[in-house]
Amino acid sequence: MSFRKRNISLGTDRSAVPNATQTAPPEVTPGIRPSPDDGRPTTSTGAPSLDNLLAGHAGLPMGKSLLIEENGTTDFAGALLRYYAAEGIVQEQKVHVVAMPEQWGRSLPGLIGTAESLDEKRSDRRKDERMKIAWRYERLGEFGAGVAGARGAAAPSPSNAGEQDPNAKQPPAFCHAFDLTKRLAHPSITNMTFIPFIPAKDSPFPAILNRLETAISSSAANTIHRIVIPSLLNPTLYPPESCRPEYVLQFLHSLKALLNAYPARVTAMITFPLCLYPRSSGLVRWIELLNDGVIELCPFPHSADNLTTSGAATSQEEPPQGMLKTHRLPILHERGGGSDQNVGEDWAFTLSRRRFEIKPFSLPPAEGDTEAQDTAASSGMPKKSDLEF
Amino acid sequence: MPSQPPLPPLLAPYLSTQPESSLTLVSSILGATSNWLVLRFLHAALSNSSNNASIGLEDSPDGKKKKVVFVSFLRGWEFWKAEAKRLGLDLTRLAGKQQFAYVDGLSELFTTPKPTGNTLPTLSTGSPAPARTTLPLRSQPGAVPGRTPAPASSPIGQGSTGGPSISEPGIAKKLNFAGQGLTALDKLERDISTVIAKFKTAEDDEILLIIDQPDFLLASTGPSYAIGATEMMDWVTGLQQAVHATVLTLAADSPLLHNAPAASNQMATPVESEHAAFAIGLAHRAQSVMQLRTLETGAARDVSGVLRISRGGGWSTGAEENLDEKELLFYIQRDGGVRVFGRGES
Amino acid sequence: MEREIGSTMPQSRSSRPDPSSLKAHEIFAAQSTPLHPHLPATSHPHQSRAERAMAPINLSHRRTHNLLLISKLLNLRDTASPFTLLLDSLEQPATPLLKEYIRRAKLSKVHVTLISFETLRKPDGVDAFISARRKSPADIMSEVASAYQPAKTNGPPQRRLILIDAINPLLSSKNPDPTFQLASFLGSFITPRDPTAPKADASLVVAYHTDVPGLLHQQSQNPYKPAHLSILTYLATSIITLHSFSHILAQKAARDRSLVAPVFGLDEEQDGVILGRLDKLTGTGAAEGIVLELEHRRKSGRGVLEWYLLPPASRYAASHVKEVVTLLDDNVLYNPPVELDSRAEDEEPKSTFELGLTDRQRRDREGVVLPYFDAQYGDGPGEGGRILYDMGEEDDFDEEEDEI
Repeated sequence: MSFRKRNISLGTDRSAVPNATQTAPPEVTPGIRPSPDDGRPTTSTGAPSLDNLLAGHAGLPMGKSLLIEENGTTDFAGALLRYYAAEGIVQEQKVHVVAMPEQWGRSLPGLIGTAESLDEKRSDRRKDERMKIAWRYERLGEFGAGVAGARGAAAPSPSNAGEQDPNAKQPPAFCHAFDLTKRLAHPSITNMTFIPFIPAKDSPFPAILNRLETAISSSAANTIHRIVIPSLLNPTLYPPESCRPEYVLQFLHSLKALLNAYPARVTAMITFPLCLYPRSSGLVRWIELLNDGVIELCPFPHSADNLTTSGAATSQEEPPQGMLKTHRLPILHERGGGSDQNVGEDWAFTLSRRRFEIKPFSLPPAEGDTEAQDTAASSGMPKKSDLEF
Repeated sequence: MPSQPPLPPLLAPYLSTQPESSLTLVSSILGATSNWLVLRFLHAALSNSSNNASIGLEDSPDGKKKKVVFVSFLRGWEFWKAEAKRLGLDLTRLAGKQQFAYVDGLSELFTTPKPTGNTLPTLSTGSPAPARTTLPLRSQPGAVPGRTPAPASSPIGQGSTGGPSISEPGIAKKLNFAGQGLTALDKLERDISTVIAKFKTAEDDEILLIIDQPDFLLASTGPSYAIGATEMMDWVTGLQQAVHATVLTLAADSPLLHNAPAASNQMATPVESEHAAFAIGLAHRAQSVMQLRTLETGAARDVSGVLRISRGGGWSTGAEENLDEKELLFYIQRDGGVRVFGRGES
Repeated sequence: MEREIGSTMPQSRSSRPDPSSLKAHEIFAAQSTPLHPHLPATSHPHQSRAERAMAPINLSHRRTHNLLLISKLLNLRDTASPFTLLLDSLEQPATPLLKEYIRRAKLSKVHVTLISFETLRKPDGVDAFISARRKSPADIMSEVASAYQPAKTNGPPQRRLILIDAINPLLSSKNPDPTFQLASFLGSFITPRDPTAPKADASLVVAYHTDVPGLLHQQSQNPYKPAHLSILTYLATSIITLHSFSHILAQKAARDRSLVAPVFGLDEEQDGVILGRLDKLTGTGAAEGIVLELEHRRKSGRGVLEWYLLPPASRYAASHVKEVVTLLDDNVLYNPPVELDSRAEDEEPKSTFELGLTDRQRRDREGVVLPYFDAQYGDGPGEGGRILYDMGEEDDFDEEEDEI
């Protein structure tokens, strides 16, 4: 059902709308590719499974912002944000980091290749599951081997190892794989800009916006920008007054205006601590309403223990570390929302050394039923062991 | 799946006729936005033959023109233009024909306009046609050079990669919020009513005013600007007086409505209590309220959400009391078509 | 069949001061006409059991007197209530009732002034329409005073109706007039400041939206100041709370089954729901109309509480003179006729004998001590086993029979 519906509507979509908004040939710019859904330019978030979650666009559409909220004291959102920043650097986009000190730039995960290279390895091990992969395909990709992978593979891209050197001559990859335990070393890392707060007697935000605006407007017309806003309103980074609605909401509105003014050149990703500002408050709802995509991470309380005990070398399937909720997706909800296949699913996420994996959540079989657990694991997603070199 | 008519038949009676000096409230939530419904309002007003959307942009024969002034605070012109095109509405052309005026409440609401030409007050005419003729004025040194470097913006702006375009045809006015309290609101009101006044060529023109999420203005200013729900409602009333009918969208998310209980003095932040007072107060004035929300039972594959149409608390004449209250389901297809159906139907 | 009055009433909000404890404000007291002696005492919802047993008689009393009362209030006769407060909500807005006030005022040639905080255009039947948008209370007061100049005649005092469509915006303004006093503002409409001016009997009807949150800053300025709603209810001589009839029915139906009463609209606390009112509520049928919960404070200080039903305006002509309001208890949908119950009993098998017992008879039967019980406590041979019989009130004592 979903299979047929999508194809048909995709066709009418393309014929009915001559891509009015896309003026730039998106293929030319590295790191930008047209959305399989409606052809608008998208860029990768640095995490393929997050790309695949974004309502069929297989990436974050340009000119859109993504808010990642996190409950509890963990920092999974921070990891996603690092992927996003690292991907921007590898794609030689201009990365602007708000409020964070420059040390943050040194903590970006190291590049280990393109995302496809990781996927290729994985799919090699899964030849016997071909049918399943093909089916997954049409469902717009539940995880790494979804649309992003599929489209990447369509373009000729060498997938063997030795991609540690990011300057290797090869067709541009859309998404890369990173290793959280390594540190990113890339020539353009020095191009990152860090925008600190300047003490101000009223709102601290206009100064930041001014710098962003200036940086974007004074850059060359084909420069792509990423705005990274870690831990918005975190009191250790932000002046205490900044959580006043007239400050933060005006800032986000102006940010939206900025994204809107450069619809093909800027994306933004914001993380937001929900334990300081609960979702039940009106201010947070407004922050959500001002973003194009809203994703909430709810880590399981025990996940921290699991992470330390299981380690990266476990052959067992890693248990999910938390739930992921999609409250709003770029484009889809702007149009009214609701009809995407991914909406309404329960998602779980797993953060391992090399990837941030989002997959449908299902309660694990009863304890001790290892056989069922294994089948469930192998059909649902690749085993951890498959990911090892 | 066959493509849907631009106006879902079940909704057509609610979209196409707004009684005089009426207020229609459209409420949305995070997961069920109102943009598609706003576009349907635009379509119903601007395309005079509802069964043939592709043409139907000619002047209606009875001489009574329907015109729309559209103020949007949260979404950009590009978005509306692209989405309207999916419905067969060319907003830029309609703006050229003086049938439609767009007031931009996003681009420069809180940022100081830069003197790079696109914000010259000479552009604040009711139509893009004169705006184009005034384009050469762009380099006129009338505006004081700001502290930000301006030179780079012009080549980028015309670049094909989507920088801000200088001559955005169709935008009648960009709003800028400056000052405090009533003065600031008065300025916005003046800006919008200037557009309306220039637009109103004949006395019997039916002007429909659509204000998209003015509640944001309230949330982002609030008590420290001496702006509250009462002031915002007075602002809306002021605009209502200049037009035939008004459609207004706002957020009705639970945290914004229910954290401020009317009776008790529980702790509620000003954002919450002012928003609730604004939303509920407007519902008391509205002739009809269209509420969008997601399914309570969770998402479904073929349902995007629920639309509830109720009568508001406002004064109405006898005819309006016959407005059928209804609860319908809607489904937004990938091509932008909307299917509206009752519960249990498909 | 016993009819329990009061207990079937929807619960009155406890936050409101008891009407009987309200003291008349001087302004309003001066305007009130003497109490009509023929008006009976109130039928308070908290009646004792004994009173309830008298229900049928009481109901007809109530019907006569309370219908007369509402009629007087709505027709603005005798200035029965100088200041009426309408407490409405989105679930039942006050506009239909305001229209009814205007309709009746037109019938009796009363001058109608509408002070509009919400209404855009002058509604039909309003003589003077005063838009209060961005006006200071003092301006409003002087405009209202100049809107109507009673003719200097020696006839009966002319009557005037002043409506305020919603007082909330005035109370929650961010730029309040520092000299603004709610009590004197409202009082000024009833008592003209110029004592030499020809006297007109003015009635003030003010709507207040109970669901619009009050504002915090008012409290923070002076936390000891009573809340606006408290001031309004204290000042008002009558308080009419509006309910949607279909909701009252749905709530009653739930209560009759000992279920939790349903809530509507904002009380549902559901994402995206502002208004819950829908024409076709399941199970209520065509239950149109407005339920008016009236608390009226008499001149004597005693309170009256009654629930009424105002049918929708489409049910009667605009020139209809007879009273259209009925008691809620008299409504067939709210209080289904007793015949329904007797029909249920008819399902028992028919016979020439009366097999069924009334509650009373059953109770009495259970109370009878049978002879063999008595025999067990026998005080000696021949002492137990007597027939013990307590005289009931329906027993007809007959000397002769006793001798047998």
